[in-house]
Amino acid sequence: MTLQHYLVISAILFTLGIFAVLTRRNAISILMGIELILNSCNLNFAAFSRFMTPPEDISGQVIAIFGIVLAAAEAAVFLAIILAIYREFGSIRPNEVDTLKG
Amino acid sequence: MVVPLISLILLCPLAAFAIFGLLGLGNRSFPRQDYLSTAAMLIGLVCSLLLLREVVPDPVPHTVKWISLGGVTFSMGFHLDSVTVIMLIVVTLVSSLVHIFSMGYMHGDPRYPRFFAYLSLFSFSMLFLVVSDNLLGIYIGWELVGLCSYLLIGFWFEKDSAANACKKAFLTTRVGDVGMFIGMMMLFTKFKTLSLYGEGGIFALAASLNTEDMVWLSIAGVLIFCGAIGKSAQVPLHTWLPDAMEGPTPVSALIHAATMVAAGVYLTARMFPILTETSSLVIAYIGGITALIAATIAIVRFDIKRVLAYSTISQLGYMMLGIGAGSYVAGLFHLTTHAFFKALLFLGSGSVIHAFHAMHAHGHDDEHDHAHDDHDAHGNQDLVHAHGSEIPPDQDMRNMGGLRHKMPITFVTMLIATLSISGVPFVFSGFWSKDAILGGVLGRAMEWNSVHHYLLFGIALFAAGITAFYMFRLIFMTFFGEPRNQEMHDMAHESPMSMTVPLLILAVLSLPIVNVLWFNENYVKPPEQPHLHAPQHAHISPDIKTDKAKMTLSLFGISEAVAAEEGGNDTHGAHVDEGHHGHGPAHTIAMVLSIFVAGLGILLSWMFYHRRSLSAESVATTFRPLYNLFWHKYYFDEFYDGVLVALTVWKARLFAQFDGTIVDGIVNGVGTVTRDILAVFIGIFDNRVVDGLVNRVAEVTWAIGGRVRRIQTGAIQTYLFVVLAGIVLLILIFRVL
Repeated sequence: MTLQHYLVISAILFTLGIFAVLTRRNAISILMGIELILNSCNLNFAAFSRFMTPPEDISGQVIAIFGIVLAAAEAAVFLAIILAIYREFGSIRPNEVDTLKG
Repeated sequence: MVVPLISLILLCPLAAFAIFGLLGLGNRSFPRQDYLSTAAMLIGLVCSLLLLREVVPDPVPHTVKWISLGGVTFSMGFHLDSVTVIMLIVVTLVSSLVHIFSMGYMHGDPRYPRFFAYLSLFSFSMLFLVVSDNLLGIYIGWELVGLCSYLLIGFWFEKDSAANACKKAFLTTRVGDVGMFIGMMMLFTKFKTLSLYGEGGIFALAASLNTEDMVWLSIAGVLIFCGAIGKSAQVPLHTWLPDAMEGPTPVSALIHAATMVAAGVYLTARMFPILTETSSLVIAYIGGITALIAATIAIVRFDIKRVLAYSTISQLGYMMLGIGAGSYVAGLFHLTTHAFFKALLFLGSGSVIHAFHAMHAHGHDDEHDHAHDDHDAHGNQDLVHAHGSEIPPDQDMRNMGGLRHKMPITFVTMLIATLSISGVPFVFSGFWSKDAILGGVLGRAMEWNSVHHYLLFGIALFAAGITAFYMFRLIFMTFFGEPRNQEMHDMAHESPMSMTVPLLILAVLSLPIVNVLWFNENYVKPPEQPHLHAPQHAHISPDIKTDKAKMTLSLFGISEAVAAEEGGNDTHGAHVDEGHHGHGPAHTIAMVLSIFVAGLGILLSWMFYHRRSLSAESVATTFRPLYNLFWHKYYFDEFYDGVLVALTVWKARLFAQFDGTIVDGIVNGVGTVTRDILAVFIGIFDNRVVDGLVNRVAEVTWAIGGRVRRIQTGAIQTYLFVVLAGIVLLILIFRVL
């Protein structure tokens, strides 16, 4: 297993996440896409830390742990926003929430 | 010692006013405030008496710098000479007695504490006026006493007549004050100072003026005297004083008889050194005419207080005449004696009014009918007074009579005062002071051989006779004969101690013994008059001329000791009159004549009003035009109403019309032009150019916005896509570069 393997996996996850965020018609699915993007980043951090720095330097892994915590917090805020949007608009489809349309 | 004593004299009444006045504002009264106010005045009296010994021949003014304005410095200070001290004693003494009297007279009045606060303020103002060494200080005191007079005349302001009287007094005196202020400013422009004494003072500077400035100095002197005309109620500004009797009687005694009205005389005496021949003559004539006019009006009055008011005006005229004729000491001597006996007369009349006061409530209708019976006999007397003040029943002498048994103390004391004012010889002070003035005028007439002064002497002598007549008319109508109104008579009673004691003290003061200071020619000396010269045609006979020095010394009754020193082997001492008047033939003549006219006046009065062998009614009918003239007070009020007031009202109407038609017309015209013509053009400009510009800008903005807003789809995924595309683009660009 080399660094390239990890980076390829990470790129695939990232692309899938972007695809989900841009195309899904449901806010929950968009959240899932965002989680994918975040996790691909975490994977990158951990991989670079493992292969590119001395073994005693674990700052990359620590950043990855932070990223996971961040993702959990972000998910909670996102779900709260979705609930509020549902109460306001009766829907969680992003293309129907277009109050700011010019 | 001088400054602390004077400060104490001033501060006591001021503190009494400040403390009790402020308490009074909050409608609270300090217990026994009347006692404390009186005590403040008594402290002032004691200090004044202590000051007697502090008088030095050439007093130095005690001054402090007050304000510096543009290179001119105003100072404030005290000037203490014998006249100041005597005025201080008179003011504090009369004020103390009036305080004591008021405790009885004003008892039970709802505004009792306020009355004492006002009295304290007045006393402070008057004392401040007296001790000031500069015209500014005098002017400040002058206006303050005017204010107090206003407040106290209008003390019972619920009565319309009192409210009107206080306004009249304030406005009338203001007319004179304007003249006084102009006179002050004339002196100020010339000398750049308002201080009177000392090296840089007005008197020192004025003494060095040359003859070209005499006209100017005369005008300034007469203008300052205008203030005295207003304050001392001289013709033609005298009309406010009789109306001022609407105030409580103690106020009439203190302010409108003894002190404030005498301030005018005091001011004129202070200005004595700058009086020229012309201004002296003007003062003498105003004084003489006032003495005569007021005395004749007093003959026909029935209101006991009005008789005394006109009598006051008349006596003030005497004082002015004395000062105008160069008898400085005589004028001030009469001021002090008059202060005592006139205060006594007013307080006595207050005692009588007080005795009748209980009558007010239920006896009114009855006595009204009675008054009408008497009216008919006098023809047109049911005419209401010119200013609508019907005589209150408790002040109407036609309701009195026979009171001497009911009120013995009041009767005796008032009789003493009456004898004093009438000029009954030797044992009463009024005789000496009035005689001093008459003698001074005649002396000047003989010395200068001046027709004016002979005429003035005649007027004064005639007025002296009338004075005796109307004063005894008052006594006979009030205290003698049968009671004219039995019901009121039954109610009358002697006044309480607080009122009779001041009467008794004042009665003692009406005897010459206490006015002994005036008989000491070394104590009060007239100041020099550098600009007063005997007229060219005056022939001064050598014997009179040599006598002149002695005459000035013995001007008003010289003490026996001095007479003995000077007189040598004269036969003085055998007769009192020789002792006092042996040195000037003028004084002897004047004295004999004045005793004669006083006797004649009293005799006529006795025949008219006591023995009734002559009928006042028939005399009145015979001299109907003259009687009407006196009854209507020489039509002064009618004149002022008909001419001055009417003129003012007419002028006001004219100006109102001017305002209504011309000023309003211009304003409205400008308004119309603006609205109908100018506004149309401006409106077009606004609508087309300004609005057009604004609208074009708005339209362009709107159009651009309409196109640009399409970008904002509101779809979050579109935005994300654009962001992603941007990032990819950036990556590509950096890759390529």
